[in-house]
Amino acid sequence: MAGNKQWAAPLRNVVALLLVWEVVGRLDLIADGALPGVSEILIGLWNDRSDYPLHVWETLKASGLGFVIGNLLGVVAGIFFVLIPVSLRVFRGLNIAIFALPPIAIAPILSLTLSGLTPRVVLAALGCYFVTMTATVIGLSQSDSRAADLIRVYGGSNWLIMRMVQFRSALPSILSGLRVAAPNAVLGAILAEFGGGGRWGLGAYLLGSLGRAEPERLWGIGVVATLIAGLAYGVFALMSHRFVGASRAVTMNMSVPEKAGDEQSRPLSSILAGAMAVLLPFLFWWAFIRLLDVPAMISKTPIGVVEYLFFSPAAQSAQERLIAALWETLPITGIGLLCGLTFAFLLAISSRLFPGFLRAFMPVALVTQTMPLVALTPLLVLLLGRGTSLTLWVTISVTFFPAFVILAQGISMVPRATRELAMAYGASAGQELRIITIPASMPYLFAATRLTVPRALLGVMIAEWLATGKGLGNLLNQSRGYMDYGMIWTVAALSVILAVVFYQLVVVVERRVLQRMGMSTAE
Amino acid sequence: MDMKLSRRRFLGAAAAGAAASAMPFGSFRAMAASPFAMQASWINDAEFAGYFLGLDKGYYADEGLDMSYASGGPDVIPESTIITGRADLTLTTPDTTIKAISEQGAPFKIIGTQYQKNPIGIVSLKSNPINKPEDLVGKTLAVPPVNVISVEAMLKLNGIDKADVNIVPYAYDPTPLIKGEIDASLDFTTNVPFTISQQGAEATSFLLYDFGFTIFNDTVVVTEETLKTKRKELVGWLRASRRGWEENFVDPTVWPPKWADSWFKGTGRTIENEIYFNKAQQPLVESPNGIFSMAEDDIEACLTALGQIGINGSRDMFDTTLLEEI
Repeated sequence: MAGNKQWAAPLRNVVALLLVWEVVGRLDLIADGALPGVSEILIGLWNDRSDYPLHVWETLKASGLGFVIGNLLGVVAGIFFVLIPVSLRVFRGLNIAIFALPPIAIAPILSLTLSGLTPRVVLAALGCYFVTMTATVIGLSQSDSRAADLIRVYGGSNWLIMRMVQFRSALPSILSGLRVAAPNAVLGAILAEFGGGGRWGLGAYLLGSLGRAEPERLWGIGVVATLIAGLAYGVFALMSHRFVGASRAVTMNMSVPEKAGDEQSRPLSSILAGAMAVLLPFLFWWAFIRLLDVPAMISKTPIGVVEYLFFSPAAQSAQERLIAALWETLPITGIGLLCGLTFAFLLAISSRLFPGFLRAFMPVALVTQTMPLVALTPLLVLLLGRGTSLTLWVTISVTFFPAFVILAQGISMVPRATRELAMAYGASAGQELRIITIPASMPYLFAATRLTVPRALLGVMIAEWLATGKGLGNLLNQSRGYMDYGMIWTVAALSVILAVVFYQLVVVVERRVLQRMGMSTAE
Repeated sequence: MDMKLSRRRFLGAAAAGAAASAMPFGSFRAMAASPFAMQASWINDAEFAGYFLGLDKGYYADEGLDMSYASGGPDVIPESTIITGRADLTLTTPDTTIKAISEQGAPFKIIGTQYQKNPIGIVSLKSNPINKPEDLVGKTLAVPPVNVISVEAMLKLNGIDKADVNIVPYAYDPTPLIKGEIDASLDFTTNVPFTISQQGAEATSFLLYDFGFTIFNDTVVVTEETLKTKRKELVGWLRASRRGWEENFVDPTVWPPKWADSWFKGTGRTIENEIYFNKAQQPLVESPNGIFSMAEDDIEACLTALGQIGINGSRDMFDTTLLEEI
């Protein structure tokens, strides 16, 4: 019975939402009918039912394969990084670079260099790797040090600690990583399908359907993509829910975290690790091109990009275009990042205060993650025009979800004993939040910020590509059309470097703040 | 690696043979045929009707070609596929190809053109018509970023300052045009007017070609290497494709419905749309000298127009000798 009650309120909210949507859509109230009613979308889905199976199957294949490969790599790498801490520093640059690769910039590069299903699988896997790797590392390193001490006292090895304590306590975190990875995999596959020229896959179907000016079809494809991602999300959310109860510390760990301080003690190795971290991404980039053996005209090595940007006949024009584009893209990225984070934080806090709201909101939030933005462009353009507000909305919509998931996870991991302590002294829910939950979730807020930085840049670039015709997004698209391979690689490399620099800035602030608060970073 | 490839080719050919079992000799021919890969410039639609027909009717097999056909998409830069050797031949926009040859020294040759007149044009609604370049002044025009310089060239040729036209990106969907968010868009005039009519509005359009931007489109491009080593196959491809296109244009309404469950299955587009497209493109493809031909005047006009946007091509980027061998 209790279970029924728990679901009644959110269910009611969802039904109410769908009803409003239906009325608004049917009466063509939004953007002169660019938002179709729910029933119109369903009728469309039914009419197109013979088209879907092959497309869905193709998308499932690519995103499923990418999901498995990306997450496997993510978990294995995460364990490796925790077991051998110095490796995390060495691979740091590569990890962040992989994470920061803007999918719209590398999709054409992947279609150029790989064939068949591979670009789709790679893009799906890339969307999973970093999220899951980070979640694994966070989970493993945030384990209760008391349990680890116990095993160590009894003579247990690092591996035993890993197996019995860390991995167990990391499971909820890993599962929440997989939860975010699932929609990423689906979107990655669809994006590669959209551009890659294959015949099947929801992305290919979307491309063919775009020219029809039938929003029902576009929303239908979005709904199907959402269902796939939503199912995957649901499975991992359920598993996470199961495990969280079994592995969360009930009492508070009073011991002070170890200082992440071997940097001072061994400066030489630290510098070496730092240098490796910077070099490794370029090494991988170079190796990727060497291994694939793609003609030099198409594939630019790091040296090739430097040559293009500084020594080629086109260098000056390239620099001018690049600087102009950066000037348009950067300010709005900062603002968008701030908006997205604020939104996610408010959402995560209110989900603590009003759990029912969260359950009602989640399906809507998930739709915004899996609905391909290109399908939403006409609607967004009609609603918001082609200016700053559109760019901001797109940026918020691509940033808030992963930030929110991390924050909500962090907030739910606050030990009950601490919260109860505050309550026992008569604190209100709001006071408890202010004194306990918000400070306790600081590491997660920083983790979320780091995670959001490259996505903010991506969001701005997408908006520029689809609607505003400015900045890096537009430059990239134009260079793609003009076979300006040098510029394609330059924009991709530069957006990664920018994201890494921002990321690093957040890390510096994070270390300072958390050290002062006596907390360890959620790496 | 080679072993594997040839095995796959063999299996492919064998499968093709099995599929053609209604024609027992067809399978023999397919086995002996030399593999030939073509990369199209977009997803399967009527733009490529001639090739579908040639494939279905075995015209390529008649020329000794075991042709594989790959559809395109926004991320597929057609020229790239012939550089990497994934395709032997591709269809391109001449501005991109010629720019790549002149600025990056790309080893390409244009050996024919599918469209004598580029089908891209300015599409608008009859209720808010834009019938000539001058009408664009003060209006909002959506243009795919790739085509911006073509539009700017057309404006310049007609004495219009590009600052007087508000150019925004065009993202494949004509909804903003139908809803009046933009006044006009640049697109294939053979395609979009149909969509607009389906949504209850009426479209009007003009070709950039008719206002001075006189370029070809879907130019047939190969690498110099392929031109040297596969000349016979290329002539065969041109001959078979011309047969396909000629047959297609005998009655442009006949073939699209036949491909509803093959070439056009699951593309998300309607057969009526393809019929409209096929009819509309006929005058742009056909030429008194035969389909794919490139008359000297037209090459000259194409080069002149491209010169207007700073793309400096020359006659030797075109090779018309294969057409003579058809």
